[in-house]
Amino acid sequence: MLPHLDAAFNYARWLTRNDADAEDVVQDACVRALRFFSSLRDDNGRAWLLSIVRNTWYSRFPKRKSEQAIELDDTADERPGTDLDPEARVIQLQAVERVRLALEQLPPDFREVVVLRELEGFSYKEIATIVDIPIGTVMSRLARARERLIPILRSSGQPIGEARELS
Amino acid sequence: MNCHEIERQLDAYIDGELAQAESEALQSHIAGCAACSQRLAERQSLGRLVRQAPYYPAPDRLRLAVQAARKPSRLTPTVLAWAASILLAVSVGGVMIAGARRARTAAESSASIANDIVGGHVRALMGDHLFDVRSTDQHTVKPWFLGKLDFSPPVKDTASVGFPLIGGRLDYIAGRPVAALVYQRRQHTINVFVWPETQPAPAAAESLRGFQVRHWTRDQMAFWAVSDLNAAELDEFATALQQ
Repeated sequence: MLPHLDAAFNYARWLTRNDADAEDVVQDACVRALRFFSSLRDDNGRAWLLSIVRNTWYSRFPKRKSEQAIELDDTADERPGTDLDPEARVIQLQAVERVRLALEQLPPDFREVVVLRELEGFSYKEIATIVDIPIGTVMSRLARARERLIPILRSSGQPIGEARELS
Repeated sequence: MNCHEIERQLDAYIDGELAQAESEALQSHIAGCAACSQRLAERQSLGRLVRQAPYYPAPDRLRLAVQAARKPSRLTPTVLAWAASILLAVSVGGVMIAGARRARTAAESSASIANDIVGGHVRALMGDHLFDVRSTDQHTVKPWFLGKLDFSPPVKDTASVGFPLIGGRLDYIAGRPVAALVYQRRQHTINVFVWPETQPAPAAAESLRGFQVRHWTRDQMAFWAVSDLNAAELDEFATALQQ
Protein backbone atom coordinates (compact mmCIF):
# COMPACT_ATOMS: atom_id res chain seq x y z
CA MET A 1 0.00 0.00 0.00
CA LEU A 2 2.83 2.39 0.84
CA PRO A 3 4.22 2.26 -2.70
CA HIS A 4 0.87 3.68 -3.86
CA LEU A 5 0.69 6.38 -1.23
CA ASP A 6 1.84 9.14 -3.58
CA ALA A 7 -0.80 8.15 -6.13
CA ALA A 8 -3.43 8.00 -3.39
CA PHE A 9 -2.49 11.43 -2.09
CA ASN A 10 -2.24 13.03 -5.51
CA TYR A 11 -5.70 11.73 -6.40
CA ALA A 12 -7.16 12.81 -3.05
CA ARG A 13 -5.51 16.23 -3.36
CA TRP A 14 -7.17 16.76 -6.72
CA LEU A 15 -10.52 15.55 -5.41
CA THR A 16 -10.45 17.68 -2.26
CA ARG A 17 -8.33 20.55 -3.56
CA ASN A 18 -6.69 21.07 -0.19
CA ASP A 19 -3.90 19.37 1.75
CA ALA A 20 -5.65 18.88 5.07
CA ASP A 21 -8.71 17.06 3.68
CA ALA A 22 -6.52 15.04 1.34
CA GLU A 23 -4.37 13.84 4.24
CA ASP A 24 -7.41 12.92 6.32
CA VAL A 25 -9.05 11.06 3.50
CA VAL A 26 -5.94 9.08 2.56
CA GLN A 27 -5.21 8.16 6.14
CA ASP A 28 -8.80 6.93 6.61
CA ALA A 29 -8.64 5.10 3.31
CA CYS A 30 -5.44 3.35 4.33
CA VAL A 31 -6.95 2.20 7.60
CA ARG A 32 -9.92 0.81 5.66
CA ALA A 33 -7.61 -0.75 3.13
CA LEU A 34 -5.65 -2.46 5.88
CA ARG A 35 -8.84 -3.83 7.38
CA PHE A 36 -9.85 -5.36 4.06
CA PHE A 37 -6.39 -6.35 3.06
CA SER A 38 -7.36 -10.00 2.77
CA SER A 39 -10.01 -9.11 0.18
CA LEU A 40 -7.33 -7.69 -2.11
CA ARG A 41 -8.36 -9.75 -5.08
CA ASP A 42 -6.01 -8.90 -7.91
CA ASP A 43 -2.57 -7.49 -8.39
CA ASN A 44 -3.69 -3.95 -9.11
CA GLY A 45 -3.18 -2.53 -5.66
CA ARG A 46 -2.92 1.02 -6.92
CA ALA A 47 -6.36 1.09 -8.56
CA TRP A 48 -7.82 -0.72 -5.56
CA LEU A 49 -6.41 1.79 -3.08
CA LEU A 50 -7.59 4.73 -5.19
CA SER A 51 -11.11 3.34 -5.33
CA ILE A 52 -11.06 3.22 -1.52
CA VAL A 53 -9.78 6.80 -1.41
CA ARG A 54 -12.66 7.84 -3.62
CA ASN A 55 -15.29 6.01 -1.55
CA THR A 56 -13.86 7.45 1.65
CA TRP A 57 -14.05 10.97 0.28
CA TYR A 58 -17.61 10.70 -0.97
CA SER A 59 -18.90 8.84 2.08
CA ARG A 60 -17.48 11.57 4.30
CA PHE A 61 -18.58 14.55 2.32
CA PRO A 62 -21.53 13.51 0.16
CA LYS A 63 -22.41 17.14 -0.44
CA ARG A 64 -19.06 17.90 -1.97
CA LYS A 65 -20.37 16.52 -5.23
CA SER A 66 -21.93 19.92 -5.78
CA GLU A 67 -18.98 22.16 -6.17
CA GLN A 68 -17.75 25.22 -4.33
CA ALA A 69 -15.81 28.14 -5.77
CA ILE A 70 -12.17 27.73 -6.68
CA GLU A 71 -9.40 28.98 -4.46
CA LEU A 72 -6.75 31.08 -6.12
CA ASP A 73 -4.26 31.45 -3.29
CA ASP A 74 -2.61 28.05 -3.60
CA THR A 75 0.98 28.00 -4.68
CA ALA A 76 1.69 25.75 -7.61
CA ASP A 77 4.20 22.96 -7.67
CA GLU A 78 6.92 23.62 -10.16
CA ARG A 79 7.83 20.18 -11.30
CA PRO A 80 9.38 20.70 -14.69
CA GLY A 81 11.94 22.96 -16.16
CA THR A 82 14.89 23.65 -13.84
CA ASP A 83 17.21 23.58 -16.83
CA LEU A 84 15.27 26.14 -18.85
CA ASP A 85 16.40 29.71 -19.24
CA PRO A 86 14.68 32.06 -16.78
CA GLU A 87 12.27 33.53 -19.29
CA ALA A 88 11.10 30.16 -20.59
CA ARG A 89 10.77 29.02 -17.00
CA VAL A 90 8.43 31.87 -16.13
CA ILE A 91 6.30 31.12 -19.15
CA GLN A 92 6.22 27.47 -18.24
CA LEU A 93 5.33 28.19 -14.64
CA GLN A 94 2.45 30.24 -15.92
CA ALA A 95 1.36 27.33 -18.08
CA VAL A 96 1.48 24.99 -15.08
CA GLU A 97 -0.55 27.43 -13.05
CA ARG A 98 -3.12 27.87 -15.82
CA VAL A 99 -3.48 24.11 -16.12
CA ARG A 100 -3.94 23.74 -12.38
CA LEU A 101 -6.64 26.40 -12.28
CA ALA A 102 -8.37 25.01 -15.36
CA LEU A 103 -8.47 21.52 -13.86
CA GLU A 104 -9.80 22.85 -10.58
CA GLN A 105 -12.61 24.57 -12.45
CA LEU A 106 -13.80 21.33 -13.98
CA PRO A 107 -16.68 19.55 -12.26
CA PRO A 108 -15.16 16.84 -10.02
CA ASP A 109 -16.49 13.96 -12.14
CA PHE A 110 -14.61 15.35 -15.11
CA ARG A 111 -11.55 16.40 -13.15
CA GLU A 112 -10.97 12.97 -11.68
CA VAL A 113 -10.98 11.08 -14.97
CA VAL A 114 -8.44 13.55 -16.40
CA VAL A 115 -6.20 13.20 -13.33
CA LEU A 116 -6.45 9.40 -13.37
CA ARG A 117 -5.71 9.25 -17.10
CA GLU A 118 -3.08 11.97 -17.57
CA LEU A 119 -1.30 12.11 -14.21
CA GLU A 120 -1.61 8.49 -13.13
CA GLY A 121 -1.69 6.87 -16.56
CA PHE A 122 -4.53 4.47 -15.78
CA SER A 123 -6.24 2.58 -18.61
CA TYR A 124 -9.95 3.10 -19.28
CA LYS A 125 -10.67 -0.25 -17.66
CA GLU A 126 -8.83 0.71 -14.48
CA ILE A 127 -10.53 4.10 -14.34
CA ALA A 128 -13.87 2.34 -14.77
CA THR A 129 -13.07 0.21 -11.71
CA ILE A 130 -11.92 3.13 -9.56
CA VAL A 131 -14.79 5.46 -10.40
CA ASP A 132 -17.29 2.60 -10.70
CA ILE A 133 -18.70 3.54 -14.10
CA PRO A 134 -18.83 1.65 -17.44
CA ILE A 135 -15.82 1.92 -19.76
CA GLY A 136 -17.94 3.72 -22.34
CA THR A 137 -18.71 6.39 -19.78
CA VAL A 138 -14.99 6.78 -19.02
CA MET A 139 -14.40 7.46 -22.71
CA SER A 140 -17.20 9.99 -23.11
CA ARG A 141 -16.39 11.71 -19.83
CA LEU A 142 -12.75 12.13 -20.81
CA ALA A 143 -13.78 13.50 -24.19
CA ARG A 144 -16.18 15.99 -22.61
CA ALA A 145 -13.66 16.99 -19.96
CA ARG A 146 -11.08 17.73 -22.64
CA GLU A 147 -13.62 19.63 -24.72
CA ARG A 148 -14.23 21.82 -21.69
CA LEU A 149 -10.58 22.29 -20.81
CA ILE A 150 -9.63 23.73 -24.17
CA PRO A 151 -11.77 26.91 -23.99
CA ILE A 152 -10.98 27.40 -20.27
CA LEU A 153 -7.25 27.27 -20.99
CA ARG A 154 -7.55 29.47 -24.07
CA SER A 155 -9.49 32.13 -22.19
CA SER A 156 -6.71 32.16 -19.58
CA GLY A 157 -4.26 33.04 -22.35
CA GLN A 158 -2.82 29.57 -22.85
CA PRO A 159 -2.14 28.72 -26.49
CA ILE A 160 -3.08 25.17 -27.51
CA GLY A 161 -2.01 23.43 -30.68
CA GLU A 162 -0.11 26.46 -31.94
CA ALA A 163 3.56 27.20 -32.48
CA ARG A 164 3.84 29.10 -29.18
CA GLU A 165 2.74 26.17 -27.09
CA LEU A 166 5.36 24.81 -24.72
CA SER A 167 5.99 21.12 -24.63
CA MET B 1 -14.94 6.50 -41.45
CA ASN B 2 -16.39 9.99 -41.50
CA CYS B 3 -15.44 13.03 -39.42
CA HIS B 4 -18.22 12.42 -36.93
CA GLU B 5 -17.02 8.89 -36.18
CA ILE B 6 -13.45 10.16 -35.87
CA GLU B 7 -14.58 12.72 -33.36
CA ARG B 8 -16.16 10.00 -31.25
CA GLN B 9 -13.05 7.84 -31.24
CA LEU B 10 -10.35 10.47 -31.07
CA ASP B 11 -9.88 10.32 -27.30
CA ALA B 12 -9.71 6.53 -27.26
CA TYR B 13 -7.16 6.81 -30.07
CA ILE B 14 -4.81 9.22 -28.29
CA ASP B 15 -5.20 7.22 -25.07
CA GLY B 16 -4.11 4.06 -26.86
CA GLU B 17 -7.43 2.35 -26.22
CA LEU B 18 -8.36 1.52 -29.85
CA ALA B 19 -7.73 -1.82 -31.46
CA GLN B 20 -5.07 -1.97 -34.17
CA ALA B 21 -7.56 -2.03 -37.08
CA GLU B 22 -9.59 0.89 -35.73
CA SER B 23 -6.41 2.87 -35.10
CA GLU B 24 -5.26 2.37 -38.65
CA ALA B 25 -8.64 3.34 -40.12
CA LEU B 26 -8.59 6.49 -38.04
CA GLN B 27 -5.03 7.36 -39.06
CA SER B 28 -5.78 7.01 -42.75
CA HIS B 29 -8.78 9.33 -42.49
CA ILE B 30 -6.86 11.93 -40.50
CA ALA B 31 -3.99 11.92 -43.00
CA GLY B 32 -6.40 13.24 -45.63
CA CYS B 33 -8.57 15.53 -43.49
CA ALA B 34 -7.34 18.95 -42.38
CA ALA B 35 -10.13 19.50 -39.82
CA CYS B 36 -9.57 16.16 -38.09
CA SER B 37 -5.79 16.49 -38.08
CA GLN B 38 -6.17 19.95 -36.54
CA ARG B 39 -8.42 18.45 -33.88
CA LEU B 40 -5.88 15.71 -33.20
CA ALA B 41 -3.03 18.24 -32.86
CA GLU B 42 -5.14 20.21 -30.41
CA ARG B 43 -5.87 17.14 -28.31
CA GLN B 44 -2.21 16.10 -28.26
CA SER B 45 -1.16 19.60 -27.27
CA LEU B 46 -3.73 19.59 -24.48
CA GLY B 47 -2.41 16.25 -23.26
CA ARG B 48 1.14 17.59 -23.03
CA LEU B 49 -0.10 20.60 -21.10
CA VAL B 50 -2.27 18.67 -18.67
CA ARG B 51 0.54 16.27 -17.86
CA GLN B 52 2.46 19.27 -16.53
CA ALA B 53 -0.19 19.83 -13.86
CA PRO B 54 1.14 19.63 -10.30
CA TYR B 55 1.60 16.12 -8.96
CA TYR B 56 1.08 16.09 -5.21
CA PRO B 57 3.24 13.48 -3.50
CA ALA B 58 2.24 12.22 -0.06
CA PRO B 59 3.68 14.33 2.76
CA ASP B 60 6.13 12.56 5.11
CA ARG B 61 3.76 13.07 8.01
CA LEU B 62 1.11 11.01 6.24
CA ARG B 63 3.61 8.32 5.29
CA LEU B 64 4.64 7.96 8.92
CA ALA B 65 1.04 7.86 10.12
CA VAL B 66 0.16 5.12 7.63
CA GLN B 67 3.27 3.16 8.52
CA ALA B 68 2.30 3.33 12.17
CA ALA B 69 -1.22 2.08 11.43
CA ARG B 70 0.11 -0.90 9.54
CA LYS B 71 -0.49 -4.20 11.25
CA PRO B 72 1.81 -7.21 10.90
CA SER B 73 0.51 -9.53 8.21
CA ARG B 74 -1.65 -12.39 9.38
CA LEU B 75 -0.50 -16.00 9.44
CA THR B 76 -2.30 -18.39 7.13
CA PRO B 77 -4.93 -20.05 9.30
CA THR B 78 -4.64 -23.66 8.13
CA VAL B 79 -4.91 -26.36 10.75
CA LEU B 80 -1.47 -27.70 9.88
CA ALA B 81 0.13 -24.34 10.40
CA TRP B 82 -1.37 -23.99 13.86
CA ALA B 83 1.34 -25.66 15.87
CA ALA B 84 3.99 -23.75 14.02
CA SER B 85 2.05 -20.51 14.61
CA ILE B 86 1.93 -21.11 18.32
CA LEU B 87 5.65 -21.80 18.49
CA LEU B 88 6.32 -18.75 16.38
CA ALA B 89 3.99 -16.61 18.50
CA VAL B 90 5.82 -17.64 21.65
CA SER B 91 9.24 -16.79 20.25
CA VAL B 92 8.03 -13.63 18.53
CA GLY B 93 6.36 -12.63 21.79
CA GLY B 94 9.68 -12.96 23.61
CA VAL B 95 11.46 -10.91 21.00
CA MET B 96 8.68 -8.32 21.07
CA ILE B 97 8.90 -7.88 24.83
CA ALA B 98 12.67 -7.42 24.60
CA GLY B 99 12.16 -5.08 21.66
CA ALA B 100 9.54 -3.07 23.50
CA ARG B 101 11.83 -2.71 26.48
CA ARG B 102 14.66 -1.53 24.27
CA ALA B 103 12.29 0.85 22.46
CA ARG B 104 11.14 2.30 25.76
CA THR B 105 14.63 3.08 27.01
CA ALA B 106 15.51 4.49 23.59
CA ALA B 107 12.39 6.68 23.76
CA GLU B 108 13.30 7.89 27.24
CA SER B 109 16.84 8.79 26.27
CA SER B 110 15.54 10.49 23.13
CA ALA B 111 13.18 12.61 25.24
CA SER B 112 15.99 13.66 27.55
CA ILE B 113 18.19 14.56 24.56
CA ALA B 114 15.34 16.68 23.13
CA ASN B 115 15.27 18.49 26.46
CA ASP B 116 19.03 19.07 26.30
CA ILE B 117 18.71 20.30 22.72
CA VAL B 118 16.10 22.91 23.62
CA GLY B 119 18.23 23.86 26.66
CA GLY B 120 21.29 24.30 24.45
CA HIS B 121 19.33 26.40 22.00
CA VAL B 122 17.95 28.70 24.70
CA ARG B 123 21.34 29.02 26.45
CA ALA B 124 23.03 30.00 23.24
CA LEU B 125 20.45 32.68 22.50
CA MET B 126 20.22 34.04 26.05
CA GLY B 127 23.92 34.06 26.79
CA ASP B 128 24.49 35.49 23.34
CA HIS B 129 27.17 32.90 22.75
CA LEU B 130 25.78 31.71 19.49
CA PHE B 131 29.02 31.57 17.55
CA ASP B 132 32.57 30.39 17.94
CA VAL B 133 32.98 30.81 14.22
CA ARG B 134 30.84 33.34 12.42
CA SER B 135 30.68 32.78 8.69
CA THR B 136 28.19 32.14 5.96
CA ASP B 137 30.76 30.01 4.14
CA GLN B 138 30.51 26.26 4.72
CA HIS B 139 34.16 25.96 3.73
CA THR B 140 35.11 28.19 6.66
CA VAL B 141 32.75 26.66 9.19
CA LYS B 142 33.58 23.00 8.54
CA PRO B 143 37.39 23.25 8.92
CA TRP B 144 36.94 25.29 12.08
CA PHE B 145 35.77 22.13 13.90
CA LEU B 146 38.98 20.28 12.96
CA GLY B 147 41.03 19.51 16.05
CA LYS B 148 38.19 20.56 18.35
CA LEU B 149 36.04 17.46 17.88
CA ASP B 150 36.87 13.81 17.22
CA PHE B 151 34.59 13.86 14.18
CA SER B 152 34.00 16.13 11.22
CA PRO B 153 30.38 17.29 11.00
CA PRO B 154 28.80 17.63 7.57
CA VAL B 155 28.18 21.33 6.98
CA LYS B 156 25.70 22.29 4.31
CA ASP B 157 24.66 25.77 3.32
CA THR B 158 20.93 25.96 2.59
CA ALA B 159 20.90 29.67 1.67
CA SER B 160 19.57 28.82 -1.79
CA VAL B 161 16.33 27.59 -0.22
CA GLY B 162 16.07 30.49 2.22
CA PHE B 163 17.91 29.16 5.28
CA PRO B 164 21.40 30.72 5.20
CA LEU B 165 24.17 29.25 7.34
CA ILE B 166 25.48 31.94 9.67
CA GLY B 167 28.04 30.15 11.81
CA GLY B 168 28.90 27.39 14.25
CA ARG B 169 30.15 26.65 17.76
CA LEU B 170 31.02 23.85 20.13
CA ASP B 171 28.33 22.78 22.54
CA TYR B 172 27.68 20.00 25.03
CA ILE B 173 24.72 17.67 24.70
CA ALA B 174 24.14 14.48 26.70
CA GLY B 175 27.55 14.86 28.27
CA ARG B 176 29.55 14.99 25.09
CA PRO B 177 31.00 17.76 22.90
CA VAL B 178 28.97 18.24 19.73
CA ALA B 179 29.00 20.50 16.71
CA ALA B 180 26.31 23.20 16.70
CA LEU B 181 25.56 24.76 13.32
CA VAL B 182 23.58 27.95 13.22
CA TYR B 183 21.14 28.86 10.47
CA GLN B 184 18.79 31.74 10.06
CA ARG B 185 15.30 32.26 8.68
CA ARG B 186 14.12 35.87 8.89
CA GLN B 187 14.35 36.75 12.62
CA HIS B 188 14.46 33.11 13.69
CA THR B 189 17.57 31.20 14.64
CA ILE B 190 17.89 27.48 13.97
CA ASN B 191 20.45 25.42 15.85
CA VAL B 192 21.48 22.08 14.40
CA PHE B 193 23.37 19.79 16.76
CA VAL B 194 25.43 17.04 15.17
CA TRP B 195 27.37 14.11 16.59
CA PRO B 196 28.32 10.58 15.55
CA GLU B 197 25.60 7.97 16.05
CA THR B 198 25.99 4.35 15.03
CA GLN B 199 22.35 3.35 15.78
CA PRO B 200 20.09 4.66 13.01
CA ALA B 201 16.84 6.01 14.46
CA PRO B 202 13.61 6.89 12.66
CA ALA B 203 13.11 10.57 11.95
CA ALA B 204 11.09 12.28 14.65
CA ALA B 205 9.37 15.59 15.19
CA GLU B 206 8.14 17.14 18.39
CA SER B 207 7.38 20.42 19.98
CA LEU B 208 8.81 21.20 23.39
CA ARG B 209 8.29 24.31 25.51
CA GLY B 210 7.21 26.23 22.43
CA PHE B 211 10.17 25.11 20.31
CA GLN B 212 10.04 22.79 17.34
CA VAL B 213 12.52 19.92 17.41
CA ARG B 214 13.39 17.65 14.47
CA HIS B 215 15.61 14.63 14.71
CA TRP B 216 17.08 12.29 12.12
CA THR B 217 20.19 10.19 11.55
CA ARG B 218 22.16 10.04 8.37
CA ASP B 219 25.55 8.66 7.40
CA GLN B 220 26.16 7.61 11.01
CA MET B 221 25.52 11.07 12.36
CA ALA B 222 22.67 12.19 14.60
CA PHE B 223 21.07 15.50 13.67
CA TRP B 224 18.87 17.55 15.99
CA ALA B 225 17.38 20.77 14.65
CA VAL B 226 15.65 23.17 17.02
CA SER B 227 14.03 26.54 16.51
CA ASP B 228 11.14 28.80 17.46
CA LEU B 229 10.26 28.72 13.75
CA ASN B 230 6.87 27.24 12.79
CA ALA B 231 6.63 23.49 12.22
CA ALA B 232 6.14 23.67 8.45
CA GLU B 233 9.19 25.83 7.84
CA LEU B 234 11.40 23.77 10.11
CA ASP B 235 10.28 20.67 8.21
CA GLU B 236 11.21 22.40 5.00
CA PHE B 237 14.61 23.20 6.44
CA ALA B 238 15.14 19.65 7.72
CA THR B 239 14.25 18.28 4.31
CA ALA B 240 16.64 20.67 2.58
CA LEU B 241 19.44 19.68 4.93
CA GLN B 242 18.88 15.99 4.27
CA GLN B 243 19.08 16.32 0.52
